Amino acid sequence: MVVAFDELKVSMHLAEPAAFPVAEKVLLAAAIVASLGVFAWRLAPIARNVLRSKKDTDFSLRPVGARVWKFFWEVLCQAKVIKQRPLPGLAHAFVFWGFLAFALVTLNHIAVGFGLGFLQYAGMFGTFYVVFAAVWALLVAVSIAGLFVRRFVVRPQWLGAEVSVESGVIAALIFLLMATYLAALFVADGSGAALGLWWVHTLVLLVFLPIIPGTKHLHLVLSPLTVFLKRPEFSQLPKLEGDEDFGLVAGKDLTQLIALQAYSCVECGRCTEHCPASTTGKVLNPKEIVLGVRSYLNENGPGSEVVLLDGAQPALSMEAAFECTTCGACEFQCPVGVQHLPILIGLRRGAVNTGAWEDKYGTKLFLALEKQGNSLGMSSAERDKFIAKQEFPIFDGSQEYCLWLGCMGSYDPKGREIVSDFARVMRALGTQFGVLKKEKCTGDPARRLGNDLLFGDLAEQGLKAFAAAGVKKIVTICPHCVRTMATDWLEYGVAPEIEHHSEFMARHAHLLPQQNGGSIVYHDPCYLGRYQDVYDEPRAVVATAGELVEAERHRERSFCCGAGGGLAFLGEETGDRVSHVRAKELIATGARTIGTACPFCNSMFRDALGAVGGDAPPQLLDIAQLAARGLAMQANDGKPNGN
Amino acid sequence: MSSNVLVVLETKGAGWHRMSFEALAAGQKLANELGMSCAGVVMGDNAAIAPLAAELAKKKLNCVWAVGDSLLAQYTADGWVAALQQLIVETKPKFVVLPHTYQVRDFAPALATRMGEVLIGDVTAIEVPDGQSGPLFVRQWMQGKLNAEYRHRSEGGVCFLSVQAGSFRADAVKDGVSEVKTFAPKLDAAKIRTKPGEPYREAAQTVDLSTAAVIVSVGRGIGEQDNLKLVEDLATALGAELAASRPICDAGWLPMERQVGSSGQTVAPKLYLAVGISGAIQHLVGMKGAKTVVAINKDADAPIFEIADIGVVGDLFEVVPALTKAIRG
Amino acid sequence: MKIVVAVKQVPERDAVVRVAADGRSVDESDLAWTMNEPDAYALEEALQLKERAGAGEVVVLCAGPERVQSTLREALAKGADRAVHVVTPEDGDNALMCRDTLDVARLLADAVKGEAPDLVLTGLQSDDLGAGQTGVVMAELLGVPHATLVLQVELAGNGIKVKRELEDGWMQHVEMPLPALLTIQSGGNRLRYATLMGIKKARQKEMRESPAASAAKRVDEVLKVSPPTRVKKTEMLTGSADEIAAKLVEKLRFEVKVL
Repeated sequence: MVVAFDELKVSMHLAEPAAFPVAEKVLLAAAIVASLGVFAWRLAPIARNVLRSKKDTDFSLRPVGARVWKFFWEVLCQAKVIKQRPLPGLAHAFVFWGFLAFALVTLNHIAVGFGLGFLQYAGMFGTFYVVFAAVWALLVAVSIAGLFVRRFVVRPQWLGAEVSVESGVIAALIFLLMATYLAALFVADGSGAALGLWWVHTLVLLVFLPIIPGTKHLHLVLSPLTVFLKRPEFSQLPKLEGDEDFGLVAGKDLTQLIALQAYSCVECGRCTEHCPASTTGKVLNPKEIVLGVRSYLNENGPGSEVVLLDGAQPALSMEAAFECTTCGACEFQCPVGVQHLPILIGLRRGAVNTGAWEDKYGTKLFLALEKQGNSLGMSSAERDKFIAKQEFPIFDGSQEYCLWLGCMGSYDPKGREIVSDFARVMRALGTQFGVLKKEKCTGDPARRLGNDLLFGDLAEQGLKAFAAAGVKKIVTICPHCVRTMATDWLEYGVAPEIEHHSEFMARHAHLLPQQNGGSIVYHDPCYLGRYQDVYDEPRAVVATAGELVEAERHRERSFCCGAGGGLAFLGEETGDRVSHVRAKELIATGARTIGTACPFCNSMFRDALGAVGGDAPPQLLDIAQLAARGLAMQANDGKPNGN
Repeated sequence: MSSNVLVVLETKGAGWHRMSFEALAAGQKLANELGMSCAGVVMGDNAAIAPLAAELAKKKLNCVWAVGDSLLAQYTADGWVAALQQLIVETKPKFVVLPHTYQVRDFAPALATRMGEVLIGDVTAIEVPDGQSGPLFVRQWMQGKLNAEYRHRSEGGVCFLSVQAGSFRADAVKDGVSEVKTFAPKLDAAKIRTKPGEPYREAAQTVDLSTAAVIVSVGRGIGEQDNLKLVEDLATALGAELAASRPICDAGWLPMERQVGSSGQTVAPKLYLAVGISGAIQHLVGMKGAKTVVAINKDADAPIFEIADIGVVGDLFEVVPALTKAIRG
Repeated sequence: MKIVVAVKQVPERDAVVRVAADGRSVDESDLAWTMNEPDAYALEEALQLKERAGAGEVVVLCAGPERVQSTLREALAKGADRAVHVVTPEDGDNALMCRDTLDVARLLADAVKGEAPDLVLTGLQSDDLGAGQTGVVMAELLGVPHATLVLQVELAGNGIKVKRELEDGWMQHVEMPLPALLTIQSGGNRLRYATLMGIKKARQKEMRESPAASAAKRVDEVLKVSPPTRVKKTEMLTGSADEIAAKLVEKLRFEVKVL
C-alpha cells in the first residue's frame, strides 16, 4: 500500500507536549529522583544479600566466549523462552524485544520533559524509528494482553494456584505504556491530549521502576546478569573447601551465584512442569525450592546459621530434597539461568555429610558401598563368577578398551545380559577389550545423594585402579558411570578417556546389519541426553534395528525413568510411580519395541511393563541387545537364531 | 571313678535341649577312638534333674553326674561355671564336650578361662589320627570359606570343646547301662551376680522377617491369589515365615511388610525357599544373606538358580504340595 | 557413664581368602580390612546409650598391628570420643594366629582396667574366626558379670537390665550390677554411616597407643588351614514331585538342619 511520504510524516508523528515551565521540570526531576530512590532502596537489601553471600570458589569468568554466546542466544534471542513454551514464549519474547526497541523512545521521552528531546521525527532515522517503535508497541500490547488472558482466565497450573495480583498490575502498566505511545501518534503536538498522554506514560514509568525489586520482575534487571554468570557445566557441583564446609547446611553456605539465581526466578513454573517428582504427586517442587531459598534469604539474610532443611521454609523439606531424581529437566531449560541441581544436591550434601539424614534405605546403600564396594551390596565373588562364565578377557594393558561393567552390568541379571550382548558386538567388530578383575562402584549414587566422604573414597580408589591397570580407554553401558568418571571424578584426578557404548556403536553403525525389527521407540536417558548431549548416536544404532519412533517427550525433553539421584536404591515412592508414567507414554506410541541405553532405565521399565504393560507389552531391549540381535541374525544368514 | 571325657548336656524345660544328644554322640565317639571312658553331666535343681539323669543312665557311659543345687534351678553363668569347675577339679577329665548352644556360649569361655584354658568352639568334626599327637578338632573360618584344624596343646590341662549343631547325629548315641552319681557343688548365692528373668516370646505385632530362621517366599509364578494357600500350607509345615517378592505385595495379595527385596525387608535366614520367584536383582539384594537357598521354578533359565544351593526345575503346583506332605509325613 | 567398646579389625567379608604358604594361617597380602560387623553394632549401642543419657564417654579399643588404626578412626568418625590402640608387634600372616582368644582377651582386659569404665561392650563374635568368646573371657578376667546375645540395654538404678536373645525366638531380661560386660547381637540397632563431618572431627580426637605387655602365646595350636572340599554349586533335584519332595526333606533335615 503506497502512502505519500508527506502524509506518512504527518500521521506517524509522535506528539510531544509543549515545553514545561520550570516548576513542572522541577516536579519531574523530583519525581524521577523519588522513583530512582525507591528503586534503589528496594534493590539494596537484595544486592546486599547477594554480594554478602559466600563467594563461589569454583567461579571463573572464562571461557568468556561461551558466556557471551549464552547471553546472546538465551537472553537476546530468547531461545529457551520460546523453545519450551512456543506461543507464550513468543509473546514474552515480543514484550522483551519491544522493551529493547523502546530504549531510545523512553530516553527521548524523559529528555523531552526537560526540553532536551533528541529524536528528530522529521528526519529519515526519526521516521523509521517511530514506525519501528509503533510496530513493536502493537506487538507488545497484543502479546501482553494475551499473556494476561492466559494467566488470569486460562490459569495454567504451572503458574501456581494463587492468582498473582502483581503480575496483573505489571501487565496493565506495560499495556498502558504501549497504549499511551500509540495514542500519541494520533494527537497534535502541544495539545492537552499530548500533555496528558505524556504524563501518564511518565507516571507509569516512574511507578514501574520501584515495583521491580521485591517482585519477580526483578528478573528484568537480574536475569541477563544471571544467564551471563551461570556455571558453565550442567549440574556443576563445587568442591567442598576446608574443614567446615559440608554443603548447603545453613544460610552461610549459600553462595553469591545461588542467591543471584534465587532472586532471578521469574516463577514461570516451567521447572515444575518438567519435574518427574512434581508431576507424580510428590512433595518436591523445584520452583518452590528456589523460591524457598529466596524467602530464606529475605528472612534470615546471608551468613545465617539457621539450618536450611526442615524448618526454615515449608518448601525446603528433607522429604522434598530426597525425592529428586536429578534428571535435570528443571535446570536444563530454565530461561533465566537458575541452576537447580547444585542447590538440590547441595542441600543433600548438607544433610548427609553432617549425618542429619537418617533414612533406612539410604544408610543401607551407604553401608553397602562402604563394605562391599557396590551399590547392590552383592559379594564380589558373584561378579567373578559372571566374568568367568561369560569368558570375558581380563584387562592386561594390551587391549584397546577396558570394558567397564558397573554395578548393574556386574550384578543385575538384565544388566548382565546387556553387557554380554555388547561384548558380543565388540567381538564381532574385532575390538580388543578386557574387563578389570575388580570393580568398585563409581560412586554415582553417593555423589547424587550428597555423601562426599564415600564418593571421594570411591573416586580415589577408582582412579588408582585405572592407573595401576594402565587403562587408556574405557567403554561402558551405563551413562551414570560415564558422567561420574568423566566429570565428577575430576575433583580427584583425571580418568582415562571414556565413552558410552552408544557412541562406540554409532561409529560402527555402518558395520551393523540392517534389521526389519518393526517400530522402536527410543527413550533418552537423562544421564546420556541432558547430561552429555548424546542423542543421535543411540538413534543411529536403533535405526539399524528397525524403524525409529519418538515419544512425545524426547531428546532434551525426555521424561525421567525415576531411577536417578540414588532413588533406585531408596524404598517406596509416594504418589504415582515415575516409571509407570513414562512407560505408559512409551507404550502410547504404539511401538513394538522400547529401546533403552541405560541399565537403570531398562530395570525401571521392566518393572513398569509388568504393571502397566497389559497382556502384550512392547519388547524392552537395550541398544546393545538390538545390535547383537542383528549380528546374530546375520551369522545365521538372516534366519532368526534359535532363541 | 573318673572318666576322661565329660559331656555336659543341656536341659530345656522338663526335657533335653535338642543338641544334647548330638554332643553326647560326639563325646562317645571321641572316648571310643581314644580308648577312654565317657561320662555325662546334667545340671539343675535336684528334683528336676533326677528323671533326666535316670534317662541318661540308659546310655553307654561310665557314669552320669547329677549336679544339683537349688541355686542351679535357673541358668546363670556364675552358677554353671562355679559348679562345673568344682566337678572338673574333682573328676579330672581330659576332655570336656559341650553342645554349641547359646547357653554354652554364655558360660563355657568363662569356665575355660578360669581353668587357664581356651574353648575350641563350634567344632564340625573330630579326627583322631594315629600316633600320640592327640585328636584334631575342625572349625570353620571366614564364614565357612576355610576349615582349620586345632589341637589342644597344654600338658596336663583340660581340653574344652563345643560341637556345632547337626555335626554329629543324635541317633548315633549308643545305649547301655550306667550309674547315676550325685554331685553337690558348694555355691554361694552372693557370687551369682546376674538375675535372669523368665523367658518370654514377643507379641507378634509386626512381621519381622529379619529374625526369621526359615522363610518361604512366593513370587509371580504362583499365578493367582487363591493359589497362595499352597505356599501357606508349606510355610506352616516348615514352621516358616511367609514372604513375597514385590509384585505379590503390589497386587495386595500379601501385606507390604512381607516384601523381601530392595524396597522391602532384608533377610538372612537359615533357609530361604523361593517358590515361583525369578530372581530379579531387586529381590536378590533382599535375600542374598540366606545361608541356604532352595528355589522352585519352572523356568530353567531363571536367575534365581544362579544363587540357589538346591534347585528344582518343575511345576510348583506339583512340587509344593508334595513337599508339604513329605514334611508332615 | 563411661563405656569401652572393644572392636576387632577383620578381613572384608567378600575377600577371597587364600591359605598362607605355611598352610597354617591366612595369606594377608591382598586383603582389605574393615571393622568386624557385630562390633559395629556394639559401637552403635554404646553411642546410643551415651546419646540417651545425654552425657558420658565412649572409648573404642582395639588390639592389633598398625593397620587397625583405620578401624579405630572409623569408630571415632562415627562418634566415639577416644581410641586406645594396643599395639601388637606381630604382623603379616602371623598376626591372626600368634595369639589365641585368652591372650588377646588379656591384652584388652588390661587396657580396660586402665580405663575403669562402667560398661564394656563388644560384638557377639568376629566375622573371621567366629569363636565368639573374647567378650566372655574378658568378663572373667575383669571379674565383672556379663551377658551375651544382648539386643537392648537399659539403665536400671545402679545397674542395668538387658534384653537378650534365646534360641527359637525366645527372649529374656537379665539384671546385673555395674560394672559389667555385654556382648552385643547384630541387628538390634540400625547402624549409622560414616559422615564427612564425623571424619573431620575424628582428626581432633585422641588415639592413644600402648604396646602389648606380653609376647604372643597360645594354649591350643592350629595345625592346618585348608579350603573345604565341597565347592558350592547349585544342586538340581530331579524326578517326580514326590521323589523330589523326599530328597528335599532329607536335605533339609540333615544338611540344612531346619527340620
